[in-house]
Amino acid sequence: MKLHKKGFRRFGVGVILSWSLVPIYWVINTSFQTDAQISDTPAHLFPPTPGWANYKALLIGDGELPSMIRRATINIFIECISATIITVVLASLAAYAFARMEFKGRKFFLFVVVMTMAFPTYTTLIPMYRIMAMVHLVNTYLGIILCYVSGFLPLATWILFSYMQSLPLAIEEAGSVDGASRMQIFRLIVLPLTMPAIASTAVITFLFAWAQFIFPLVLASDQSTQPLTVIVAAIQGRHIVPYSLLSTAGVIALSVPAVIALLTNRFIVSGLINGSVK
Amino acid sequence: MKKKTDFLPYALISPLIIFIVLLALTPAAFTTIAAFFKVQPLNPPTHFSGLENFRDILHNANVISSLGNTFIYIIIGVTLSTVLGIYFAVILQRRFVGRSILIAVLILPWALPGVVEGILWTGIWDANTGVLNSVLKSMHLITHYQVFLGQHKFLTILAIEVVQVWQITPLSTILILAVLQNIPDDLYEAATIDGSNGRKSFRYLTLPLIRPGIAIAVVQSIIATLNIFDQPYILNGAASTANSLAMETYAVSFQNLNFGQGYALSLLITLFTLFISVIVAKFIYKKVEY
Repeated sequence: MKLHKKGFRRFGVGVILSWSLVPIYWVINTSFQTDAQISDTPAHLFPPTPGWANYKALLIGDGELPSMIRRATINIFIECISATIITVVLASLAAYAFARMEFKGRKFFLFVVVMTMAFPTYTTLIPMYRIMAMVHLVNTYLGIILCYVSGFLPLATWILFSYMQSLPLAIEEAGSVDGASRMQIFRLIVLPLTMPAIASTAVITFLFAWAQFIFPLVLASDQSTQPLTVIVAAIQGRHIVPYSLLSTAGVIALSVPAVIALLTNRFIVSGLINGSVK
Repeated sequence: MKKKTDFLPYALISPLIIFIVLLALTPAAFTTIAAFFKVQPLNPPTHFSGLENFRDILHNANVISSLGNTFIYIIIGVTLSTVLGIYFAVILQRRFVGRSILIAVLILPWALPGVVEGILWTGIWDANTGVLNSVLKSMHLITHYQVFLGQHKFLTILAIEVVQVWQITPLSTILILAVLQNIPDDLYEAATIDGSNGRKSFRYLTLPLIRPGIAIAVVQSIIATLNIFDQPYILNGAASTANSLAMETYAVSFQNLNFGQGYALSLLITLFTLFISVIVAKFIYKKVEY
């Protein structure tokens, strides 16, 4: 009986590991092979002649591909980091008001926040493009960042709100007896206590922003603002680019979110649970 | 003495509200209204056209076929991600050495961009360089390389949807696991004393108690599969074999530049999403008491 259970779990652990890791391993494996090696039958489980040739071809030099990829990498960092900072700051202010203050319309505004969380992408995609075109923000960092912030702000507010609401009130009351203003209490007491949820929100927002494709595809019309995801898709769309380079571009684009996810998985899990179960 | 209105909370929420009003509610209203107008930048003027856009898209063969495809995407995606999600959550239910590392590994596919996942799985499905063909041939299951993408419609959809399932299963697992961990251990002990075995405990104890988690997981995966775009865009390109509704909306709006029809299609997808989510949530979601 006991043995049977252990076997069940061991098998399951094997399934989870291979399900998550085999595709990732495979793309890393091919990124260290030449095109001829990739086409060999049977496939090589390990790169026969591992080397950085593909990475050099994509990252170093003045060719078209390397300069595209370098530009897109800078773009994606600018867009994701800015969107994350703005989202977290605005969301924590709003969450504080919702969690700790009584005001007219509080319930209504909260309802609006939850409702916008349920909007599918397609409700806003086309008009977002037309609004940005109207105010001349198509193909600008600002346009893309504003679009990301508007998309992630409701969820971020919701995660921080549910966390702040679960904090005990007593500490803050002690603060207000000492004569601290509400913004001082926010800065000195609530914010430090909310740090774990702020970390969750920041990581989740950053990862969502990194993964964006259709919005920047529509809003960024040339390489000056296109993020890595759009450029990787563009490279893939040209059939002359071999899979060795394509898989290498894929590895470059997945390395940042993969490392972040491995390092911060605790924050991701608690953020996802806070964001959707309640 | 009347209390003065407290402005601080309004000041704190105003940036959020401004963003929501300008970049979520306004676009949504825009979509709803413009769906009833003829909007073609290359063919002005814009004018009210009643239900014409809706009539046109419902007579558009590509839209109809993408509707059917999307339905298949949803069925495959929701079924696979929910079954896998329940299975993975049960594996992770109790503490064991290495469990937190396993959760970190489990999360990985969720964190990667859909576009990159498309590239990644090209290396598996591809007819020339894909590893699946190589493996199947080495095992003598096939005599020559097969084309998985772009020829047979159902096979193409299945292959593409597996990629999305790979991405959304972690979230389903986490949502179900969150509920699963709240089930008190003594319930299982009591069941074992009453002569229950592992399978019976799962069927009559675990499954009914995790319904709320499953409900949320199902709603999440319906929304994700209904909006599938990145994976077919990369894996199948512009080929219409396995077009999803989302790809069709993109094509109608930004390739045909018929924004009016795009709005109408978006509006239908939105209403459909909200409708399904509410129904499913009502159907599966039941408050559980221990």
